Amino acid sequence: MLGYLARRLAMTIPTLLLVAIAVFALVRLIPGDPVQVMLGDAADPAQAAQLRAQLGLDQPIPVQFMHWIAKLAAGDFGHSITNNLAVLPLILDRFQVSAVIVLVAVGLAACIAVPAGLVAAWKQNSLVDLSVVGGATLLLSIPSFWLGLLLLLLFGLKLKWLPVIGYVPFAENVWQAATFIVLPIATLTMVEIGVLTRMARAASIEVLRLEYVTHARAKGVPEWRVLARHVLPNAFAPTWTLIGLVLGHLLGGIAVIETVFTLPGLGRLLVDSIFARDYPVVQGCLLFTAVIYVVVNLIVDLCYPLFDPRVTVA
Amino acid sequence: MRRRRPSPGWAVGLAALALLAMLGKAGAETLLRTRLNADIRSTDPGTNRDANTDGVIGHVVEGLVAFRDDTSIGPMLADSWTVSNEGKTYTFRLRQGVKFHNGATMTADDVVWSLKRWLDPATQWRCLSEFSATGIARIEKIEAPDPQTVAITLDQPTALFLPTLARPDCGQTAIIHRDSVGADGKWIAPVGTGPFKLAEWKRGQYVDIVRFDGYVSRSEPRTGYTGAKDVKVDRVRFNVIPDSSAAKAGLLSGSLDVILSLSIPDLEELKSRPEVQLSITPALGLTGILFQTKDPLLKDVRIRRAIALSIDTAQIVDAVMMGTARPNNSALPLGSSFYSEAQSHGYAQNIAEAKKLLAEAGYRGQPIKMITNKRYSFVFDSSVLVQAMAQTVGINIELEVMDWAAQLDRYNRGDYQSMAFVYSARLDPSLSFEMLTGPKAAQPRKVWDNPEAQEMLRQSMMIDDTAKRQALFDEMHKRFIADVPMIVLFNGAELTALRKSIKGYAGWLYPQPRFWGVAVQ
Repeated sequence: MLGYLARRLAMTIPTLLLVAIAVFALVRLIPGDPVQVMLGDAADPAQAAQLRAQLGLDQPIPVQFMHWIAKLAAGDFGHSITNNLAVLPLILDRFQVSAVIVLVAVGLAACIAVPAGLVAAWKQNSLVDLSVVGGATLLLSIPSFWLGLLLLLLFGLKLKWLPVIGYVPFAENVWQAATFIVLPIATLTMVEIGVLTRMARAASIEVLRLEYVTHARAKGVPEWRVLARHVLPNAFAPTWTLIGLVLGHLLGGIAVIETVFTLPGLGRLLVDSIFARDYPVVQGCLLFTAVIYVVVNLIVDLCYPLFDPRVTVA
Repeated sequence: MRRRRPSPGWAVGLAALALLAMLGKAGAETLLRTRLNADIRSTDPGTNRDANTDGVIGHVVEGLVAFRDDTSIGPMLADSWTVSNEGKTYTFRLRQGVKFHNGATMTADDVVWSLKRWLDPATQWRCLSEFSATGIARIEKIEAPDPQTVAITLDQPTALFLPTLARPDCGQTAIIHRDSVGADGKWIAPVGTGPFKLAEWKRGQYVDIVRFDGYVSRSEPRTGYTGAKDVKVDRVRFNVIPDSSAAKAGLLSGSLDVILSLSIPDLEELKSRPEVQLSITPALGLTGILFQTKDPLLKDVRIRRAIALSIDTAQIVDAVMMGTARPNNSALPLGSSFYSEAQSHGYAQNIAEAKKLLAEAGYRGQPIKMITNKRYSFVFDSSVLVQAMAQTVGINIELEVMDWAAQLDRYNRGDYQSMAFVYSARLDPSLSFEMLTGPKAAQPRKVWDNPEAQEMLRQSMMIDDTAKRQALFDEMHKRFIADVPMIVLFNGAELTALRKSIKGYAGWLYPQPRFWGVAVQ
């Protein structure tokens, strides 16, 4: 187990190095640079050159890259060009915001989607199935920003139950913090229910057709027990893979939802930094996202044996 | 079981009073909540800054002089000044009894220290280059003959010295206390003289400024960044809200009091809301279509002129700005005191003439690429209308939408055929022309490369005589219209929405809010 873990982690190093190179190169391939954004339409060439030299942007790109990698190896992600903050604390700070929302939303979505998918599969081609599939497809098709804005309009403006803008960290005031993240979580949950229900249903249909299910039924096992004991665990494996992918994807930031609900999350940090051409932050965010992806997938893989004894991770 | 003795009545009463007092105190703080579309960059004036930074810091620090409502220069921390030594020495008499936020009284010594800090390259002051060999003038000497007097000597006379000192993007050349920086010279936080103190900067979330109780206000009425600064709220919170729909929702739900820089569609929507009032003021920015006069096709002035004659500026402005701005083909903004009758002569739509010019130039529908962006919706809308109007005379414009940083890159390199662009505010007419004209070889971003215009510009910067400057600007305008290096369309408007409970807010020519003199009811 530990050996497996070490091997997996070692394998991520070349992946991350490739990501680092790609990110570094891509960021510099976008036209425009942070100095121009800072100076706007009044960029005096001498002033721009001076600023570029200060930021080290006048050096050849390979030299800049080596500087960055050398610092990274020492755990230093550098400093933001726009506000001079250390990049790693900035990312971690923003990541907390995104992570709470994503974890709660995906957890909730899984709790609803998996049973719903199972029931739909069990009652395949019935009215129940049709409504579950219809509902899931509908949720899947709604753009998250539009759903978010509608919820804001209803609960924020019409009913005035929840605040419309702002964010309070949990460390400051738990109750207030909760009121700010209810709507983003609701939005994200609804969207993800759509994704996960379809997967859970498809996986359950596969399993329901298998011989051990027929065998169990022939044995006279009660139907609920067939579903709970034989179908659910086996159908959950592919859904779990999908949950892992979804988590890895969403933890990299939910820029659209963060923008609609004005949350200081990782996604917004990345988008803002791209527009400002804040190279160190963009690089840091993307690399961090890659790490998250790798780690989430590792955790997902390590979890398989929990519900599928055939899988071992040695 | 023994029961505890009930507390004496007076103690209960006292406790209740104390509680009431506490509640009263907690409820008494008046808070004004506004919005920034992005976080500020730093609290160090005029160094690591952008418009949002200037807007917040403009409440916290002040300079010797400041812009008035009509963009003329008025005294701020200086009470008066004299110019001697053939226009090269400015002697400022300081106001008495001005307090810094830490309670210290401002003296000439602080002014000298502040100015020397700005002129130190290590400070990275944005406007340092203005006072270098390539700028408006070099500062040769800064002296404090007595605690209320500061004398600054330049190497040559310039009309731009005071306007440059007052520039908001130069941090108004703020006079700050030396406690603003640490022993190592590193910036800590502004200890200024403004009517507000910086209270808290929660990065990515909000910036709070609070009333400075020791502020001694000037006596003239509020004007621009000077005059009386009578603070009527305890705290102003600038919330960082990038999304404009969210900001609008915040205003309507009552969690924001003021939102600035509204877009035109927002304005239309908010007009009908009973809880909202609007403030519409002309702005100094300049929106227009830039041409690359070195382009093989567009180097022919006849083609550029044909485009100018194909469009109806008034119609474009009406459609894009919904009646909040007026057409203007001049490089000088409409609000400028130098905007004369001469400046009002621009391009009149003339389809027949445009077609004739195109035929003479031998134009046969070659595509003309026009870069535009969606960061500024009025820029995008303008480019679409120009494209459509030019089409009526057979000019084939192809729009290319870019993000702002990418467009700025092309602008700075002069790498474009044409682009729809917006210039930020320039507060002096010389600076308005300076942003457009210059040698392309040295400064590829300059759109108008005309040596005679550059000479006139240089003169306009040297002389202080208003009539002579006016004559120069009028002549430059004539040539600008004849050369068609760009088509200026309009100066835009600053649109602000406020809840009805906000009293006393007034916009001005410069696109920055002022929250002194503003009350929450």
